Amino acid sequence: MSSNEELQNTNTEERFDFKKEEKSAFQTEKGLTEETVRVISEDKGEPEWMLNRRLRALQQFQEMPMPTDWPGQPDLSEVDVAEIVPYIRPDVDVRAGVDDWTELPDEIKDTFDKLGIPEAEKNALSGVGAQYESEVVYQNMQERWEEKGVIFCNMDEAVQEHEEIVKEHFMTKCVPPSDNKFAALHGAVWSGGSFVYVPEDVTVEMPVQAYFRMNSEGMGQFEHTLIVAEDGAEVHYIEGCSAPKYSAFNLHSGGVEVFVGEDAHVQYSTVQNWSKNTYNLNTKRALCEAGGRMEWISGSMGSKATMLYPSTVLKGPRASDNHITIAFAGEGQNIDTGAKVYHNAPETKSTIESKSISKDGGRTNYRGLVHIADGAENSSTSVECDALMFDNESTSDTMPYMEINESKVDVAHEATVGKIGDEDVFYLQSRGLDDDDAKQMIVSGFIEPITEELPIEYAVELNRLVELEMEGSLG
Amino acid sequence: MSGTQLPANLSTEMVREISERRDEPEWLLEARLEALEALDDLALPDVIKTPGRRWTNLEALDFGSLVDPLNQADETERTSDEGVEVLTFAEAIEAHPDLVESSFGSTIDPTENYLTALSAALFTTGTVVYVPEGVDAEDVTVRAEMNSRSLFSHTLVIAEQSSSVTILESIESGQAVDAESRYFSNLVEIDAGENAYVQYGSLQTLAEDTYSYSLKRADIGTYGTVNWIEGNLGSRLTRSDVESELNGDSAETKIVGAFFGHEDQHFDVNARVWHHGENTTADLVTRGVLDDHARSVYEGVQDVGTDAWNTSSYQRENTLMLSDESEADASPKLIIHNHDTEASHSATVGQVDREDLFYMISRSIDPMRARNMLVEGFFVPVLDEIAVDEFREDLRELIAARLR
Repeated sequence: MSSNEELQNTNTEERFDFKKEEKSAFQTEKGLTEETVRVISEDKGEPEWMLNRRLRALQQFQEMPMPTDWPGQPDLSEVDVAEIVPYIRPDVDVRAGVDDWTELPDEIKDTFDKLGIPEAEKNALSGVGAQYESEVVYQNMQERWEEKGVIFCNMDEAVQEHEEIVKEHFMTKCVPPSDNKFAALHGAVWSGGSFVYVPEDVTVEMPVQAYFRMNSEGMGQFEHTLIVAEDGAEVHYIEGCSAPKYSAFNLHSGGVEVFVGEDAHVQYSTVQNWSKNTYNLNTKRALCEAGGRMEWISGSMGSKATMLYPSTVLKGPRASDNHITIAFAGEGQNIDTGAKVYHNAPETKSTIESKSISKDGGRTNYRGLVHIADGAENSSTSVECDALMFDNESTSDTMPYMEINESKVDVAHEATVGKIGDEDVFYLQSRGLDDDDAKQMIVSGFIEPITEELPIEYAVELNRLVELEMEGSLG
Repeated sequence: MSGTQLPANLSTEMVREISERRDEPEWLLEARLEALEALDDLALPDVIKTPGRRWTNLEALDFGSLVDPLNQADETERTSDEGVEVLTFAEAIEAHPDLVESSFGSTIDPTENYLTALSAALFTTGTVVYVPEGVDAEDVTVRAEMNSRSLFSHTLVIAEQSSSVTILESIESGQAVDAESRYFSNLVEIDAGENAYVQYGSLQTLAEDTYSYSLKRADIGTYGTVNWIEGNLGSRLTRSDVESELNGDSAETKIVGAFFGHEDQHFDVNARVWHHGENTTADLVTRGVLDDHARSVYEGVQDVGTDAWNTSSYQRENTLMLSDESEADASPKLIIHNHDTEASHSATVGQVDREDLFYMISRSIDPMRARNMLVEGFFVPVLDEIAVDEFREDLRELIAARLR
């Protein structure tokens, strides 16, 4: 026994040495090291293959240059990758971001108050404490889903308990780490997030909301969401919520992968309202089989800079995609968002509807790509971008890219930019509304196509949020 | 950057020789040498890149074999109207030395990119159109024939206050040349003064072994108007940039473009406008047809500056695909810094409308003829924008000829 112990000690020592060596090998690389990635993986007790994927992603991250050559892109020079390291561990330990409600900045506490969110929920939203009521609701829903074979759990849990499905789908066919530098970063240090699996022909009637789960699990900075909808399945997933998420850490780089089976239907809704010191650099993508339908509904309200282009690959015939995006950029914000659709099969269809509002020096940009591959006959796409500008300090850009390799197609793109209509304001004023109310109402009308796609409680919150932005009462 | 180094067959001696042969003043030689020297550090014009794709591959151009600076030849016919001076570049340097010196490079910086610098260093032909104050002229034509492996041309248009002029330029290939491929480069600078009106039509029908680059830019003053018409049918690869800077208040511009590609032609067509003054208006209209393996790339930019109050800016681009092998890429961009703006753009790609075709066939029109009629009809909105009958007819005729 004692010799065994000795052996173990030696092993530990050897391992220790090996690690030291590894560390020195990476010393020249600033920022993230292999050691950090190994620690994360070990902490989570992950299987070998996941560790290997993380390490491969890390290598790709280190090899890839920062994206700097996109025309008019947000300035990312402040995103210091070296700074990420010290935060990785805390991110693993305290996924909630802050420990105490009182540690939240006033600006965010204010918003909670204004949104009329009760104290208990405030704690929940900020990821501080668990909220009893929603926990019960979540529990109830979970039981109903389980009967149908629906899986909805934490991504970390899924790696352990649904290893095969995760191994097949996790950052392989949909968003490989090589996709972009921040996807690679995400692949190396991801933590938390949701896993949703809907079996064949099962319809989940109620929207699946990360909101409920976030209460107890909290939301990481690098959360990964994997949704697998088998043939004929149907699900609506709602990520985050409209209340601001605060974090001392200023980089959010999530990953979302959606697999839409044949004739399946997935709707993915997000209202992003990160605090205004955050760089929000996400990669979201769906692979859509024959007859499948993918819908992305996203609102980008928060963050200092956002670069987010949810994409759909229409792989099978008759697959379709629908994008609805809204961006609201206030003072100091740069919201660079849009959509990407690849038509790789005949009779595929996509519609993109984008609305953006810029105010008080904010910048919005629609950046989108529609690619129709050779052979994708009888496909159609329509892109519509509307931008509303409030003042002369603001900027509104529209940069669509269309690549059409097939002749039997119908492609249309349209965009308008304008200021808030004086006549519209005048009309409403003549009906007794004051200037602010009139403008608010016009904006609410402008974004209505988005809000009507959201469940009522989200729509209400989104509207309220826009009102607050309009009042300038949010930082 | 590969492909952007100084071609081995270029040298300062060569540039000096070009300048000496033409008996040029010192300032122009200096400008040429400066452009030549800059080549090493300059990049090719921007090309749109999307993940995994570069829309036009200018890097592939081998200037070493394309360019033959000392053997440039062209035959250019120039006609003038009363009150307007239409001169060769050399004549203009004699007649209006100061004017040419101050105008050359004032709108297009020769060292803007690799291709402009190459053009400035090596150009041997060109036209200067000088329209004095108040002169009202029509029908200035510049018909050029390219008779060498490479040809570099530089055109200056100076339209003084309250003058007006219509200029039609055409470029085609003359006699056959003993070379695998040819290179044509054309820079056009327009200086439109206060209340001046310039219509500049250009028709490019070069042989399909030619690579052509043209950059046309106008500096438009208060109440000035510059209307461009850009017709591209020739060349193996065409890179065409037509740009208007609305610098004066109430300035206007219209950029009308038409292209028709067949076989393995590649068109990289760009229309850009910068709104700097107040109350400015821009209208960008481009229509193109692609047949066989032809490929088109379109970028349209409407850039509204912070001080460009009360701007109106519109852009439309439509591409018609006749063949399954063809490919159309488009990127209409809006960059808006002033909220007092009405701006819109639209772009479509599609094929000949099946219902229209069916209707015509049901009226016993032969299917091919019906298709051709619809293609000709597709260009009508662009043809309608062309104010000069002669030019409109030329373009219509060329389109019809390609359909035959």
